[in-house]
Amino acid sequence: MRSSSPRPRSGLSFRRTAAAALLAIVGIALATSLKPREFARRADLLVRALRGETIPSGQGTRYWFDPAYAEFLEEVRRRTPEDARVVILAPRVPDTYAYLAVYVLAPRRVLTDPGSGEPGFVASYRSAPGARGEPITQGTLERR
Amino acid sequence: MSLPATALRMLGAIAVAGAAGWALMRLFDEGLGRLEKVAWSFAVGLVTQCGIYLFWRSLDPGVGWGRILLADGVLAGCSLVVRRARGDFSLGSVREKGGWPRPSIWLLALVAAAGWSVFLVQALSEPMWATDFLAIWGLKGKVIFQTPQWAERLFSDAGLFWSHREYPLLVPVSLATFAAMIGGWADQALALLWPACELATILTVAGFVGRHASGFAGAGAAALVALCFPLFQAVNVGTAEVPLAFALTLVGCALLDVMESGSAARLARLAAASVFCVSTKQEGTLFVVLSALVLTTRHRRMPGRKWAGAGLALLAPAAAHWVLLRLVTGPQSRRDFDFTLLAPGRWSELAVRMETVLRRFVETEARTALIPLLAIAAFLLVTRRGVGDVLWPIFAVQLACYAVAFSISAYDPAYAFDAAFRRLAVALFPAFLLILCTRGVGIEGADVIQTGSPPSVRPPKPEGSAA
Repeated sequence: MRSSSPRPRSGLSFRRTAAAALLAIVGIALATSLKPREFARRADLLVRALRGETIPSGQGTRYWFDPAYAEFLEEVRRRTPEDARVVILAPRVPDTYAYLAVYVLAPRRVLTDPGSGEPGFVASYRSAPGARGEPITQGTLERR
Repeated sequence: MSLPATALRMLGAIAVAGAAGWALMRLFDEGLGRLEKVAWSFAVGLVTQCGIYLFWRSLDPGVGWGRILLADGVLAGCSLVVRRARGDFSLGSVREKGGWPRPSIWLLALVAAAGWSVFLVQALSEPMWATDFLAIWGLKGKVIFQTPQWAERLFSDAGLFWSHREYPLLVPVSLATFAAMIGGWADQALALLWPACELATILTVAGFVGRHASGFAGAGAAALVALCFPLFQAVNVGTAEVPLAFALTLVGCALLDVMESGSAARLARLAAASVFCVSTKQEGTLFVVLSALVLTTRHRRMPGRKWAGAGLALLAPAAAHWVLLRLVTGPQSRRDFDFTLLAPGRWSELAVRMETVLRRFVETEARTALIPLLAIAAFLLVTRRGVGDVLWPIFAVQLACYAVAFSISAYDPAYAFDAAFRRLAVALFPAFLLILCTRGVGIEGADVIQTGSPPSVRPPKPEGSAA
């Protein structure tokens, strides 16, 4: 009902302008959260991926904490059957080590507890020299 | 397979989902504009494809695009039969207000397109990497797609105790469905689902605001959604926040439509939105329940027993989803919350934790977002009530529930707040624009909503209803 009553044109115009300007401020404030340098990096990654280039894990974000871990997981994935149980021995911090192992190696059943004693494979990331099992990229792989 | 090849397949799969959804949406698209029809078709299509995929998956793990297309064809045929029986062959849409778009509208549409493109580039730039994707949503999707006994694996394997077994499954099942349609788990191409959800959110808000206020207001709302980079950013690709924002927007629009007219088509849309929302994230269930509560407080303004039908349309899918999820997952213990804090003996401790959360909000989030918050407050002062204002209590209580949830967190409440509040809050923003952008006099033409609109959009209120 209120808007049915006549209003001074200038007041209406002011309110419209003010309202539009205030929403523009909201929009600008939201837009400023974009990081141009990060966006440029991502745009570059996309262009390279579309060209068919394989992006090294060190240049992507998934393995930000340890790019070499990508090579290790890929090697374990290549050497183990899909229905295998795989125990992954890797650092506990950050927990992304465990999340990535389970995600990348799926559908294999991945365990991070070395004492499970179940038959399958034990993959040790960056294991010390003399560790049991066959040496693979960035670690060892033992069948038990 | 190369990224261009898998991305093209993914685009095709999304188009097929949209087409399947459109075939069903035609049964209940009354009162929608063209933009909204596209968005709703995508939402309905997504849920439908997931249902089809799970059906075939239960018969044979090796589901391919052929069987999904076959089922889509059957559904489209059924839709056609129903429409023929009803004598309904209309392809028309409600037009957004205003005539041919003016340069200002084109300019805002350009801003929206640019904002969306930014998210598209971020989403597709590399395989999805967000922690929540790797540990929850993507992991479940991959297991569903690749593991014959997926339910046993997801909900019984002690090694996956951290994967939040109690979470809804629409996002993982969507990923598995699209993986089946494109012929493999390509987690860079699958990321296109997220820009698709953003585009659908933009179209939903733009269409709704355009039909209730003006084309200019709709375009402005679209630009604001697209510029919401705190939500549409790389770290949220692969998580449930972006689909949730879309789902909340759908529920908000459907609820407002039902409050105008409780026709069967609008009730069906509300139920569809409820299904989408509750099966995306638990915050969606909260939003749906709060929407039902708002309905009960406004039942006198709705004709006859329409409010009860609307409440049923909201809550029945939520209840059915809860039962279904419980059957699939079995009883799962929650490790995120310490409910003993709600016991009277620990209220003093709870009060301290609540104070911590509130102080954290004021000292971090409110300070960071001070300028937009002040701009919104001023905007509310210079504008008048709009159709979306009935949604205020939902947002207020939803945020209050988040505060309580952080206070009873099993972890340090400040840590829990810092880890989750911002992404939870920004997921509400697109739906919140339904309030802002439909307010009177705020934007050119918006004052029309106070005095009525074309009958095709807003049917006359029945006798006895409040103005």
